[in-house]
Amino acid sequence: MSEWNLVQAIAGTLDAEMARDESVIVLGEDVGKRGGVFLATRGLFDRYGPDRVIDTPLSEAAIIGAALGMSVHGLRPVAEIQFADYAFPGFDQLVSQVAKTRYRSGGAFHAPLVIRMPSGGGVKGGHHHSQNPETHFVHTAGLHVVYPSTPSDTAGMLRTAIRSDDPVVVLEPKRLYRAVKEQVPADPEHAVPFGSAMVRKRGDDVVLISYGASMAETARSAEALHAQGIEATVIDLRSLMPWDRDTVLQEVARVGRCVLVSEGPHTVGFMSEVAATIAEEILDALLAPPLRVSGYDTPYPYAQDREYLPGPRRVLNAVQRALDY
Amino acid sequence: MIRDSSRFQPFSEQPIRLVGDQGEWLGAFALDLSDDDLIQIHRDLVRARLLDERLVRLQRQGKSSFVAPAAGHEGIQVAVAHAVEAGRDWLYPYYRDYGLAAAFGVPLLEIVGQMLGTLADPAKGRQMPSHPGSAALNVFTAVSPIAAHLPPAAGTGISMKMAGRGEVCVATFGDGATSEGDWHAGLNFAGAQGAPVVFVCENNRYAISVEFAKQSGSETVADKAHAYGMPGYRVDGMDVLACLYLMRELVQRARDGFGPALVDASVYRYGPHSSADDDSVYRPKEEVEAWRKRDPLPRYRSLLERRGLWDAGAEERLRAEVSEELNQAVRDAEAAGRPGIASMFDDVYAELPWHLRKQRDEATGA
Repeated sequence: MSEWNLVQAIAGTLDAEMARDESVIVLGEDVGKRGGVFLATRGLFDRYGPDRVIDTPLSEAAIIGAALGMSVHGLRPVAEIQFADYAFPGFDQLVSQVAKTRYRSGGAFHAPLVIRMPSGGGVKGGHHHSQNPETHFVHTAGLHVVYPSTPSDTAGMLRTAIRSDDPVVVLEPKRLYRAVKEQVPADPEHAVPFGSAMVRKRGDDVVLISYGASMAETARSAEALHAQGIEATVIDLRSLMPWDRDTVLQEVARVGRCVLVSEGPHTVGFMSEVAATIAEEILDALLAPPLRVSGYDTPYPYAQDREYLPGPRRVLNAVQRALDY
Repeated sequence: MIRDSSRFQPFSEQPIRLVGDQGEWLGAFALDLSDDDLIQIHRDLVRARLLDERLVRLQRQGKSSFVAPAAGHEGIQVAVAHAVEAGRDWLYPYYRDYGLAAAFGVPLLEIVGQMLGTLADPAKGRQMPSHPGSAALNVFTAVSPIAAHLPPAAGTGISMKMAGRGEVCVATFGDGATSEGDWHAGLNFAGAQGAPVVFVCENNRYAISVEFAKQSGSETVADKAHAYGMPGYRVDGMDVLACLYLMRELVQRARDGFGPALVDASVYRYGPHSSADDDSVYRPKEEVEAWRKRDPLPRYRSLLERRGLWDAGAEERLRAEVSEELNQAVRDAEAAGRPGIASMFDDVYAELPWHLRKQRDEATGA
């Protein structure tokens, strides 16, 4: 076991996978000598050299597109987009090229690559350093999308992503990069499968569902509820495409009430899909409608950096509404 | 080792030409291709032209929804196919390159199958017509967004450089592509890494209706190579031998580790941009006629005839043979049948996730 924070879990997993498989390479802006602006690739350049840790031109289209061209030629590139907000200059490469390679070639070519993106707000970064773009990618056929919240899950899901034969977008909760340290299994085979949620806590009054950075606020909300004598089940989705429908439906059907917490914009956010599925599949088991607590439908603001995020106050209000329904 | 082309100057005033209008050899060096090679080039030119005519006809017959005619582009396309090594090098073609694909060895049945969207298409009818590709031959399946294949081509080139096996990647595109951000991203990254990629512009002077002067303030496409630290060559793209000798040198130069190059091959498309286009509203008929006088096929045939390698009888036999080959390809492609509904759900991912399984069951009534 290693005591790692989330960013160390990324660097450690990249190191282990690069040592295991020489087709694994890393590319992105500043990932080489600098070790990445968040230090997620720290130490790799010294260990593996400039051929396998490639400082790219400042061009997301080049990073994502080149990763595709490398992957069809036999490499397993792990590309870093410095901030998820900068995926958009490479959006066509990701959405129309990477995601569609297997499909449009009838399976003749496939793109085993990973795009890592530090995501989310609460870092005083303003609109262009705070967004949660997961919905764009979940809406894109051909991509796996994961958004872990713990060092151990990040290590395990990054490993699964690197070994996947499909392209994977790994969204990383950057405000949690150094928030917590935990024991991460040293097992070089420690992998977390996609499409499997984790029930972090079990209670009988309400189900709180979240993923990524918002898991921190969701966990704090559950503690605040506990202090009031309200026991919550807390589900960390971890993986958005595919997502763990069975665990969600099972827990929500058991409890009857749920609050869905995500920090991206409200309208057509990922939780809209979860809420719709709950309503379609288990309406009879519900004691209250599924309630969403999310970011607002504004661009991500600078001055109201914290207020934009769905925090415990708003989660508790929603839980109260569900209980009173 | 070829550090720079020994025979050709980059950034020349005039496009490189080796064969004159009457088929006369203009080269300052001897034409050193074997008779068999010279004849094979002609066969590939004719095959590309007849393939194009057949694909245009299939669209008019309503058997396919679209075609991007390539007549006039055969010189550079056939040259590229003959300059690279099948099974070793990679091609990143664009949608007008089925003549290139055919000359490189992609079976006509697969090309026609792709045009018709039947099971003869290795890509299972997933893309609109005019998007060739072949995993067996390392031909990366063409995409629609313009220049979007160039950052991937750069990536393949960087991967080739790392592998150190002397592989080369050739990427082709039209003149309009040079305005896209992806074009810059691809050439810039390849230049920075010294990747073995030869970028080839099939410059037909029009991006649908927009002429090159509105596309760019650059005088030529070749000029843009300066910005990426690579040589840029202007070549008569309708002179198949000029294209072939130039491409062979640039492919060898890339193979030897001296990095990427840009080729600006001037061609003309005799047809509209696509079956959905009417080129008469933006191109004067006289212009089209003037370029027909430079047609790559008769010019090259004259060269063969001057050397006693070809005559009218041989031409007639070749055309009959290719027509029959095309008849057979069309018959077989049609007989292959259409992909079923369920196949729509395959190849989105390596394995079918639960939500697609559910949707597939609904679509097929399972």
